[in-house]
Amino acid sequence: MFLMTEIIVLLTSNLILTQALGTSTLFIAAGNRKNLLGTAFTITLFTMAGSAAAYFISNALPGSAKDFILLFYALSVGILYILFLIVLYFFNKKVFRNAKKYIHLSAFNCAVMGTLFTITNKAEENPQLNNIGSFIIAGIEAGIGFILVSLILMSAYKRLNSKDVPSAFRGFPAMLIYLGIISMAIYALT
Amino acid sequence: MNKRTSVFDGLIGNNTVLSSLMVISPVIMCGDTLKNAMAIIYAFSAITFISVIAGSFVPRKLPYAVRIIIYTIISSLVFIPVKFAAQQFFPQVINRIGIYFMLLAVNSLIIVQTEAKFYRMKRGKMIFSLIFYIFGFDAVILIVSFLRELIAHGTIYDRVVDIDTLISGFGLPFGGFIFLGLMCGLYRKIRSVSRHENTGGDSNVSDD
Amino acid sequence: MQKKLKSERFVWLDIMITLITLEIMQFFYYGARAVVLCGICAVVSLITEIICTRLMGRHFTADDLYCISDALIVTLMLPAVIDFKIAGIACVFTVIIKNEFGGRKNMIFSPASVAYVFMLTSWRSQLIMYTEPHVHTGISEKAGNLVSSASHVFNTTGKLNFTDFEILMGNMAGSLSMLLLVVSAVILFFRSDISKGAFVGTITGTLFLACILPMCSNIYDSVKYTFSTNMVLFASVYIISDRRIAPKHNYYAFFYGFFTAVFSYALVAFTQKENMIIIVSLLLTPVALAFRNLEKNIELLEKAEKKGAVTVE
Repeated sequence: MFLMTEIIVLLTSNLILTQALGTSTLFIAAGNRKNLLGTAFTITLFTMAGSAAAYFISNALPGSAKDFILLFYALSVGILYILFLIVLYFFNKKVFRNAKKYIHLSAFNCAVMGTLFTITNKAEENPQLNNIGSFIIAGIEAGIGFILVSLILMSAYKRLNSKDVPSAFRGFPAMLIYLGIISMAIYALT
Repeated sequence: MNKRTSVFDGLIGNNTVLSSLMVISPVIMCGDTLKNAMAIIYAFSAITFISVIAGSFVPRKLPYAVRIIIYTIISSLVFIPVKFAAQQFFPQVINRIGIYFMLLAVNSLIIVQTEAKFYRMKRGKMIFSLIFYIFGFDAVILIVSFLRELIAHGTIYDRVVDIDTLISGFGLPFGGFIFLGLMCGLYRKIRSVSRHENTGGDSNVSDD
Repeated sequence: MQKKLKSERFVWLDIMITLITLEIMQFFYYGARAVVLCGICAVVSLITEIICTRLMGRHFTADDLYCISDALIVTLMLPAVIDFKIAGIACVFTVIIKNEFGGRKNMIFSPASVAYVFMLTSWRSQLIMYTEPHVHTGISEKAGNLVSSASHVFNTTGKLNFTDFEILMGNMAGSLSMLLLVVSAVILFFRSDISKGAFVGTITGTLFLACILPMCSNIYDSVKYTFSTNMVLFASVYIISDRRIAPKHNYYAFFYGFFTAVFSYALVAFTQKENMIIIVSLLLTPVALAFRNLEKNIELLEKAEKKGAVTVE
């Protein structure tokens, strides 16, 4: 039952299915089925680390400088992006060479930035959530949500790209409608 | 002919939203009323145009990763005056749009298309092409929000229209997904038919 | 191929016969309006299907008549007093979505559950209020005294005051005759018109949770009311066990049905909302698709192994 509750929470708070955050990134990654899960896992890393950074930034910034929050979030994600590239370079040079032109897609997108803003807004509304633990957990949850949607999309990938689908709808339009129907079911749950 | 096509590409042939599915979050989430759409159009056009033009002056010698970060920082800086102006023009809408307003600063046109397309062109051509890519987005969000507002809320720019059965679901995010998917399919159909006609019925019809 | 086509058409015919029987029962309880609603849904679906198949450059064949059985399934889930326009819009929407994915050759979602959930999200209030059985509303009349469904009462209070006979005959607001449903299930099950694995899985899952986590004070009542409310039995037969959607192998189909039942039971227990099984069946479509992918991969591997063995020989 605990697992059920967790799945329901993950679905009903899913940023892609309920707020359409990161949909463009999902579709860019969906161009290649193998890339999809890789992108989803990288995004999870960025949302997790980015959320920790967002906690410090949102608490350090004075109220008068709130308009600069986007700039600081972008800077923090930029630093994480460089760090990620450095780690990947020393970890596996071949993977680094193949992935370096795509990793920015996982770093600078609505999924990561949207997660940071959503968490910050929630913490402002509910001060109990304004701690590093809550920020990181929310970041991980958002990332797992992205992985979940990637899996949902992957399960129908072949059928959505099948020759039976009319050519005008094959691929992206069918994926959009497919996600729309799943999103509709989630809306009906809440 | 080819040159003309490439400059106007972003408006019809290779539409930002309908062809590449870029910048779709604001269309899905905020494209349910014309008022929201107007605010998004203003913010997207201003942020993207200024950021891409400013980003084109970033030296190409810099490493790729650094260039991407600089583009994001430029758009985050451009966002600040755009937001101040938006608070004057669209005071109520800005709150409704919420985080999607800020997220326009990290849209795919700035992060992805700059390196993949715009900065490979000469500056003059790039500016024209960019304008048509922006117009492409603006046109789609206008059409989508007009139809969704009419079907879901029974209004046009907040004015009540006499429709007795409303489909409120189309005003919700899932409605945005489905509506955009259907529009995307329709756009592709029209595009493939027109290409088919232009090539005199050649069999080289896009099968995407 | 010919044999397969013939068997598919017999499946449709069997399903139609059982659905029409249920519809006759609805006519008995709710009057001509229930039949008109059914007719409108069927005609609208058929016309939309014909237009869609023509637009897709295909010819309309007898196999495309599945849209009518889907329309009948939708009708049986709706209150007879619902606005005809709403039901019509939902049918058009569903057929368009189905054909956008490639129609009957490439089914992804159960059309009936898409239609129901679509209506639920846009016209919830119209979908959950019923007239009492035996209250016949005229075709152009507006319904007077609307009541909540028996499912709603059971979910919120944990009890129902109906005799076993009333439950068997479906003499409760928003419920279908259990007797007819059981007979339909048995016929469709033994004629292999529905996925046996998915059906057994759904029944097992529901039974299992109704026993270990009863919704009311005694287990017998819990089992009885769980199956007779929230469209559990109806969805088990016509939606979850739909052969077009459920995994082909009974082994995988069992788990698909089991997960759907467990998930929907838990949701009903937590949220107390009615007819959760239909929403869950839609939500777990990716699971069915994943199982189908797995089946295909296993088939391909087995073929490759056989081919390898022949080459070695």
